[in-house]
Amino acid sequence: MAKATLDDATRRKITDLNDSYIRAIDDDRLEEWPVLFTEKCLYRITTRENYARGFEMPLMEGISRGMLIDRVTGYRRVNIYEPHRYTHMVSGLAVEKIDGNRVTCRQNYLVIRTMINGEMTVFSAGIYYDKILLGADGAMFEERIVVQESCRVDTLLVIPL
Amino acid sequence: MKNEPPRIDWPEEGPTRSPYRVMNDPEIYRQEMQRIFRGPVWHYLCLDCEIPNAGDFRTTFIGENPIIVTRDADGGINAMVNRCAHKGALLCIDPCGNRKEFACVYHAWTYSLKGDLTAVAFQRGLAGTGGMPSDFDLKQHGLERVRVENFCGMVYGTFDDKLEDVETYLGPEMSAHVRRIFNRPVEVIGYSHQLLPNNWKLYMENSRDPYHATILHAFYATFKLNRLSMQGGVALGHNGWHNLLYSAAERDIQKDDYQGKGLRSVIKDVGLEDSSFLTRLQEFDDGITVAIQSIFPTCNTQQIYNTLAIRQTVPLGLTKSELHVTCFGYKDDDAELRRMRNQQANLIGPAGYVSMEDGSVGGYVQRGIAGADKDEASIMEMGGRDIKQSPGVRATEVALRGFWQAYRELMGF
Repeated sequence: MAKATLDDATRRKITDLNDSYIRAIDDDRLEEWPVLFTEKCLYRITTRENYARGFEMPLMEGISRGMLIDRVTGYRRVNIYEPHRYTHMVSGLAVEKIDGNRVTCRQNYLVIRTMINGEMTVFSAGIYYDKILLGADGAMFEERIVVQESCRVDTLLVIPL
Repeated sequence: MKNEPPRIDWPEEGPTRSPYRVMNDPEIYRQEMQRIFRGPVWHYLCLDCEIPNAGDFRTTFIGENPIIVTRDADGGINAMVNRCAHKGALLCIDPCGNRKEFACVYHAWTYSLKGDLTAVAFQRGLAGTGGMPSDFDLKQHGLERVRVENFCGMVYGTFDDKLEDVETYLGPEMSAHVRRIFNRPVEVIGYSHQLLPNNWKLYMENSRDPYHATILHAFYATFKLNRLSMQGGVALGHNGWHNLLYSAAERDIQKDDYQGKGLRSVIKDVGLEDSSFLTRLQEFDDGITVAIQSIFPTCNTQQIYNTLAIRQTVPLGLTKSELHVTCFGYKDDDAELRRMRNQQANLIGPAGYVSMEDGSVGGYVQRGIAGADKDEASIMEMGGRDIKQSPGVRATEVALRGFWQAYRELMGF
């Protein structure tokens, strides 16, 4: 239920931000992912089950760009997992509110996970609830809450959704 | 159905060995469903606080059996198999909610909150034709009951009518630890569910194994949070059926006062860009910061710093299982402590810095042992070959030996 309409320039900034987000993750250039967020931010992955009940407990959360960088460090150097990659599909931008240079919006996402043995799975699908800060040249995420529809995670979650 | 255990020649080394066959033999799995999950064992079902009001229910599992746990109008807790007595359909699909009764969607057979069959649709037929035979007795066709007991706010169930009470089953050491965690009213702060690509027993081994913690979970060592050299140990209950792995990290970290109610530890200089999520409160007087308790067969209680949780492992066939995690806090948590519990959730669960590896390592074992020769077995000699209380010992597999001893006792191996 979109309540606000975007001018073309604003829409392009939001689209560019989302495209950069997808490319950073799916091209395994995860170091480029934290810089899409403001220094103080909220990135949270949760499930529909917890979100609907008002539980703030995350599966994964960063409240600063530093915490997102630490997740990248965990992924690159610390945590142990079987190599895999994501393919994101994002669609259905709905703008809830435009307040000065802040846009509140949401989109659907779908992440397909591919393992090195060739197995491809629908790993996660759900909604991005975003608060986006518009600047002169582009946009940044102040907040992205990833609400996965499934209550269940297959095996582990190390790459952000 | 024959209930004879499959023949298996357990290695003569006893509980220091576990044949790989127990992880990949479908006949053994089928016997486990009878001898363990329907056997003389208490199974964790849910928390008392999840069903506070009359009509509240929660669905869960004992082994593969779907279970409904209800609060009846008298305030009592009941558990029944979630399987209509008519055709076997699931009665209740929702994970939780509130109902006056349970009516099967298929033919509207209806059950009370205690599991009694109260109505059968068209029992007298239509216009004098059809209907059930006149001697059909509703009383003979209730849901299969599960015996329940509420111990310290943890609701347990068993199919065994003769089994001792939960406290005796746990033994004094393990009961004391349950009381330590459930020392005052709790409330749920979130759930997680993690699909494990392995037999349920591989996670049971993992959660009883302090040997792997600082090796597999490299986050601990990289960021100096936990070392095997820290003080801690393994306590056993019920001859090793249950156990508690504990450690105390306070010597390693800085302390400052937290509003006079405890100690808050801020971890600095560990190489993280922002370690604020590791800020924690020492909320137990014994100084223990990490305590993982295993209650045979598939329940763990967890305290990792300020994250408190119950983990329940549900078998989903021979080579799959699912971890159901219920995280909780105390009702009297202030906002800052609740925020710490939520922030520290970054450490636990399927995306947890110190736990995500447990999701994959069981799969490595499951795939590694595929096609193994019938005599091949895993080795558990770390910390000796016996099963005894091990205070001060962390480099030990004593709790795994305890698990396998209990397993053999129940399976007749």
